Amino acid sequence: MAKLTSKRVEGQLIPISLTINGTLHEIDVEPHELLLDVIRDRLGLTGVKRSCDVQVCGACTLLLDGRPVSSCTLLAFEARGREVMTIEGLAQNGKLHPLQEAFIEHGGFQCGFCTPGMILTAKTLLDENPDPSEEEIIEFMQGNICRCTGYKKIIESILAAAKKIKASSSRI
Amino acid sequence: MLKRFRLEEPESVKDASDFLARHGESARVYAGGTELLLVMKEGLIQYERLINIKNIAGLDEVKLDDGVIHLGALATHCKLASSTLLQERLPAFVQMEKNVANIRVREVGTLGGNLSFAEPHADPGTVLMVLGARLVAGKSSSSREIPVEKFFVDAYETCLEADEILTGIRVPLLPSHSAVAYLKFGYLERPSVGVALFLAVDGGGKSITDARIAVGCVGPAPRRIEEAESLLKGKGFNEASRLISKAGEIAGDASQAISDLHGSQDYKEHIVQVLLKRAFHQAYGQCQSGGKGQGGLHG
Amino acid sequence: MRFEKEIEILNSKEKVWAFLWDVDRFITCVPGCKEAKTVEAGKSYTAMMVEKVGPFRVEFPMGIEVLESQAMSHIKARASGSDSRVGSRLKVEIDVRMKEAGEKTHLSLGVTVDILGKLATLGHSIIKRKADLVMEEFAQAIKNRLEGVS
Repeated sequence: MAKLTSKRVEGQLIPISLTINGTLHEIDVEPHELLLDVIRDRLGLTGVKRSCDVQVCGACTLLLDGRPVSSCTLLAFEARGREVMTIEGLAQNGKLHPLQEAFIEHGGFQCGFCTPGMILTAKTLLDENPDPSEEEIIEFMQGNICRCTGYKKIIESILAAAKKIKASSSRI
Repeated sequence: MLKRFRLEEPESVKDASDFLARHGESARVYAGGTELLLVMKEGLIQYERLINIKNIAGLDEVKLDDGVIHLGALATHCKLASSTLLQERLPAFVQMEKNVANIRVREVGTLGGNLSFAEPHADPGTVLMVLGARLVAGKSSSSREIPVEKFFVDAYETCLEADEILTGIRVPLLPSHSAVAYLKFGYLERPSVGVALFLAVDGGGKSITDARIAVGCVGPAPRRIEEAESLLKGKGFNEASRLISKAGEIAGDASQAISDLHGSQDYKEHIVQVLLKRAFHQAYGQCQSGGKGQGGLHG
Repeated sequence: MRFEKEIEILNSKEKVWAFLWDVDRFITCVPGCKEAKTVEAGKSYTAMMVEKVGPFRVEFPMGIEVLESQAMSHIKARASGSDSRVGSRLKVEIDVRMKEAGEKTHLSLGVTVDILGKLATLGHSIIKRKADLVMEEFAQAIKNRLEGVS
């Protein structure tokens, strides 16, 4: 391990372009910047939360090319050339995503802190498996922790959202 | 906030190895970062340079290569868990990969990174121990194969040299009439006890021709427990069933378990015994049905 | 964490006692211990405890205080130090009892180690293992030194 010396590591700027919620952004990041901090502090999208800070709780979940990642433990430059989705990007043209509607209708949140992570992860599930069983939901959502709800309402909300999505797609 | 560091992005193993040789302990290989960034965020360790090896082509392939399964060191847990080749040839390994950490870590974390970091509370090393895996390490102008039994030296320490990079893991195909089971136990974020078992039976299914036992998570590194294996080899099912508790006791004692926040030494040794017994019945059952081991996971 | 060790040394009580207070010779028996200095002979000392686990390295500058000592009989001491880089503090309590056993000297060593701060949770099992090894190495080293092996 390097001993702490008085030698300063030079700043290194990495120019990256990334799509966030459908919009292209071009920014410079330093190698040590975390994606969570860039999204929250530099881009002002504060739906993503810092909670455990050790990638265990899921409150910092972002979708990177549609897959859930812990933004608290991801270096920002890793998002270069990729698509990031935050909770702010879920609603389209002012209309809430079925998951957001279902969470509201079924009381899937109390304090709301885990909720953006819950919904983004659930979105990944439903995109992959539009008709999950309760067991499949529980297994998929294992990595997202909630301190308020006891999870029952979260599962109900996801089941309800799946029904909504199925119903609206069958109307097409 | 992480301390500032320089990012190097070599495009070949040679260049990466050269960086490591040049900068020694002030540089570290960086892949998924799911272990490394955690200890860096805690301030437990600091590097002047991180060598991002994800731009080196070909290190994430999962393929059958001349009768041997090749797992690229940069394959993520997610990629391994969804590989049809592995589901067919190493189902117990796939089952283990599906349950590493959580969905977000599996998305980003790599097998090579997991093995190189050598965190004691981890799963892949224990399973590879019973698969006869050989780890491929590359440096500037050469590479070598390291048998998995020699790879883990101590907690957070592997036998990799300072300028070596893990490039792949090679696993021989499993013989027919054999099965692998991996059971783990834990309720903290990381597994507390992991037991892997490989069993091979003769064509008639009458006696155990080969047994390999590995225990992980409880000691500083995963360990093969040859002393317990010899109890099972050459035995029929009934005799082996009678001896499995003793084998489990031996495995527990030999596992170098230590009392810590994951449990007392006695408790862990006991859980090793329990998991080995369950793994035995599971693997034996699969041998009988000719399968190569599905591996139910939680003991 | 509490560690206890019984050490039998083939040498006289006087020689062993003298060795324990000969700081420069004594610290060569303690793995990881460097740069020991006498602040006040018989009362206070300083030393650096350095430990490496894989790529992780900790350095605790320790202040050592002798609480009690009775010639040829026993010593009680305590030591503490902080490594601010890893936000942790190391506290050690040592008691040594000496007894004559024919030609041999019997040392009963009792050490209580406490780690506070980050390493307490993150490094608990590693520290325990290391401490075990240190005790083991120390016992062997002190025997070797006093029995004329090295």
